Amino acid sequence: MRRQFLNEPGDVVSEALEGFAAAWPHHVRLNSDPDYVVRARPATDKVAVVSGGGSGHEPLHTGFVGTGMLDAAVPGAVFASPTAVQIRAASMAADTGRGVLHVVKNYTGDVLNFRIAGELLADEGVRSDIVLVDDDLATDTGDSDGPGRRGTAAVVAVEKVCGAAAERGADLEALTALGRRVAAHSRTLSVALAAGAHPGQAQPSFELPGDEVEFGVGIHGERARERRAFGPTSEIVPQMVSPLVEALELVRGERVIAIVNGLGATHDLELYGVFGEVRRFLGGAGIDIARPLVGSYVTSLDMAGCSVTLVRADEEVLELWDAPAATPALTW
Amino acid sequence: MADQLSPARVERWVHGFVDAVEESGEYLTDLDRRSGDGDFGTNMVTALRRVREALAGAEPAAAGSPFQVMGETFLAHSGGTSGPLFGMWFRDFGKVGADTGAFTLAMLAEATANGWATVARLGSAGVGDRTMVDAIAPASEALDRAVDAGSGLAEGLRSAAEAARGGAEGTSDLLGRRGRTSYVGESALGSPDPGAVTIALFYRAAERAAAD
Repeated sequence: MRRQFLNEPGDVVSEALEGFAAAWPHHVRLNSDPDYVVRARPATDKVAVVSGGGSGHEPLHTGFVGTGMLDAAVPGAVFASPTAVQIRAASMAADTGRGVLHVVKNYTGDVLNFRIAGELLADEGVRSDIVLVDDDLATDTGDSDGPGRRGTAAVVAVEKVCGAAAERGADLEALTALGRRVAAHSRTLSVALAAGAHPGQAQPSFELPGDEVEFGVGIHGERARERRAFGPTSEIVPQMVSPLVEALELVRGERVIAIVNGLGATHDLELYGVFGEVRRFLGGAGIDIARPLVGSYVTSLDMAGCSVTLVRADEEVLELWDAPAATPALTW
Repeated sequence: MADQLSPARVERWVHGFVDAVEESGEYLTDLDRRSGDGDFGTNMVTALRRVREALAGAEPAAAGSPFQVMGETFLAHSGGTSGPLFGMWFRDFGKVGADTGAFTLAMLAEATANGWATVARLGSAGVGDRTMVDAIAPASEALDRAVDAGSGLAEGLRSAAEAARGGAEGTSDLLGRRGRTSYVGESALGSPDPGAVTIALFYRAAERAAAD
């Protein structure tokens, strides 16, 4: 039996947005009906970087609105795409006249509603383009006719790098190319120890025996294709990192950004332990973690588990990663 | 003029369509349960109730105005994938009818062709994929033929309604390759696609509005 802090389950997103905006008054401002979050001090004369998706992944995406990252974020209902009208409104609020970059995780509903928003924006004279983030290696089926890989934690890297480049004045074409390059060079694998529960539901979305992990989960509480044996971190982490190295064709001497991300109910104590194992494994393969990021950034409600993301890093990407950011969830 | 669809008749069309979907709500949901996640009928009825509220008391500025309202309402309130696609479908009728006092058959043929292109592009769906396109495509072809033959409005819409119904019924024999149906495969065989059935209801309402 799960218990959660809430009033009416149906009000959980709007109440959280209200609290979020009230907690970060110097960073963000909330617009209601249609719901979206914009910077408290809107930028001028730059391409607007806008993202969005279902709620339940907090701090994604609203937590990344601020200087150096997003200009606006558009939250949908729990695990459901925002509507095209919401996306249009947020994009028009953020546009400074230089166009809008949409950073979209690859899910059918999100892709459709952002594509529609792009057509609605064109009718309003606002230029926009989409960077699709599809880093989840577990859904890499090689089927060109299928929905493709899901988008997960690499979206943080895309938002950080594109956000920094936009701040420096990059145009829409350059930003789109940059975002696509970062996404193409990112892969993620996620492992769950326990499912999360939807707001107001007492039961988690699946039950897992104590001696198994769900290997290759996404961020919507669904089961993975595969269950593997539970074991010490030193046995689980290599199973996650090794396929990433292979998929990205990383070779000795290359540099990566490594993101160890909690899925909602996993403690930092465990996440740092996982990061230590990631570092040991990559060190053995001669791959340098140029920049680490450890914490819960792209969650799946209160799922217990973590994801490991590797992003191939060149000098340009690292410089943009290092550029200042001041957002509720990421500041340096 | 008899061979044009006046704003009053467009309203009759829209309200007739809303009524038909409400009456078929449970049937559509049942169809969706066989091929998807079972919320199609409910979502459609909810969105159309909002349309009815939005239309109440509004004086249509142009023949396409009610469709513009439908498009915006679906795009603003409908989650999932079929809702937004229907929003874009209605929007194309709103666009073609934006600057005119009444729809001609040629305008309706143009709106249908545009809507077909929009839904095919955004939904990546072609004929035979077991989607709303399987009802739209025959309706579009029937309208083009009717325009070429110089048919009257009522006759043209009757042929479109028949073609759309035939196309919708034909989806019973199709395996889904797009949308949620693609996950359930053969278990959906034998019942038509709810999106295609809804398109058939749309042209049936048009036929009635023109004929009354």
